[in-house]
Amino acid sequence: MAKPVFWQAAWAVAYKDLQIELRTRYALNAMALFAVTTAVMVSFRLGPLGLSRDPRSAATLAVLLWIAIFFAAMNGLSRTFVREEEAHTATLLRLNVPALAVYLGKLGVNLLILALLETLVTLLFIGLLNVTIANVGLFLVTLSLGGLALAGATTILATLVAKADGKGSLFTILAFPLVLPLLIIAVETTELALSGGTWAAAGSGLQLLAAYTIAEHVAALWLFERVWEA
Amino acid sequence: MLATTFKWFTGIWLGLVAVAMFLWVPAHEGLGNVGRIVIMHVPTGWLTSVAFLFSAIYSWRYLRHGRARDDALALAAAELGLIFSVLATVTGAIFAKVVWGTYWNWDPRETAIAALMLIYAAYFALRTSIEDRQRQRYLGSIYALLAFVAVPFLIFVIPRVTDDTLHPNCAILNTPNCQGIELTENGRIIGTVEDFKVELLGIEQQADLTVATVSIVSNGTNYTLKPSFNRASNKPETIERLPETLRDVQIKRLVGEPGNQTVEIAIANTGNIGLLTEQRTLLTFFASLFGFTLLFFWLWWLRADVLDINEQLVQQGITI
Repeated sequence: MAKPVFWQAAWAVAYKDLQIELRTRYALNAMALFAVTTAVMVSFRLGPLGLSRDPRSAATLAVLLWIAIFFAAMNGLSRTFVREEEAHTATLLRLNVPALAVYLGKLGVNLLILALLETLVTLLFIGLLNVTIANVGLFLVTLSLGGLALAGATTILATLVAKADGKGSLFTILAFPLVLPLLIIAVETTELALSGGTWAAAGSGLQLLAAYTIAEHVAALWLFERVWEA
Repeated sequence: MLATTFKWFTGIWLGLVAVAMFLWVPAHEGLGNVGRIVIMHVPTGWLTSVAFLFSAIYSWRYLRHGRARDDALALAAAELGLIFSVLATVTGAIFAKVVWGTYWNWDPRETAIAALMLIYAAYFALRTSIEDRQRQRYLGSIYALLAFVAVPFLIFVIPRVTDDTLHPNCAILNTPNCQGIELTENGRIIGTVEDFKVELLGIEQQADLTVATVSIVSNGTNYTLKPSFNRASNKPETIERLPETLRDVQIKRLVGEPGNQTVEIAIANTGNIGLLTEQRTLLTFFASLFGFTLLFFWLWWLRADVLDINEQLVQQGITI
């Protein structure tokens, strides 16, 4: 069991990042605007009732939902690490806080940001595209697991990108092949949830998603210190 | 001396394979000349995965021991992996266009190689975006390992995208259930061919024809098909297409008297006509697999050496 000091340090990192984020709202604004733009563009041509008449609407909406979440997340999730490098505060943090505490603090912030983003995207889709969610429980579990997996795979990539020079676009390029399995299952399960599929039908997909989430988190915890100290 | 011998041997070997591929191997009965492409396609596809594995192993070794040589080997393997994946994709696409009518189809193996190409591309994009060489190696190795954790999931995930493959598995590995299944009226009426559950519902006689009613589960849906067999000519008569797939269902063989007949139900891939059953093709294929593997290792060490020398020059302040 880690010492209380360790958890305090992790909490301090998260708290500091949240305060800075709330002061500038750089990441939140970028992500929210991306989500709104996507939903509005889709709604313009297809909605608000256009898609509900289409028999394949659940599949199309699930894909659009995850496109919005994935690319919006790519706009904001690397922010906390990139800011440390840009403001030259990374070294200070490295000297004072254990690497793992930094990671957990930033992971917490990213999880919170993702939860906000997913809520926003879902509300926009319900409002602008007339989405009805037939199996609400399954939908919520898919979004939560998907968010956990996305944060696990991308937080360490954000550290990596912060150390590289082509920051903006590089993050998406690096993340896409890694989260491909996650996106495929998440879209499939979301489609099931929208069209009223049962828990039994979604079971194997959710199991796979959970296994992927655990694997990515373990790999990230194992490799983080090396990236952070690089 | 050894290296020179190895180089010449590999070159001559692959030259002979190329000559044999076009002159010695007969044109395939069903596919014609395009069947020859399998001799290049399969080895390059195989080496793509081998390269990915080596790249991850040497990335891990680099992180453990910090030797520049390990990173040079990891980078060289990734570069070769990209080259071979392009070769496998292009030869595969040509074959697919001629035989299946489409260049690209999101077949499980196509999806897997596309994911590998994306990973290689991301790996190089990351490396080129970092100026500091030490950091470049470090972060490159870490990305290679992260990708290595994600890729096995694709193996489980891809069949969910489509559970139908056009790739002729049975042409290469001839397992018993590739042959089809024997079902008997009053005996065994249920079984599997590859991943399809097949059930014999009944057999009826119409003049010279024996018509079997079979139910096949594909993609979670139950289909009832009626393939038939001509007893006079002793050949399959009606071949039924399994809906929404490129599979043909037929009665390959029929034994016994009415009332107690055994039918062998085969589910063939369209285009899966036993590419490697011909002996010269098989021999050339293995020669090609061996030759390409030699080529891979030779290029791998050579490229790693070049990267090493380049590194030493950079350290001495010489740029080329």
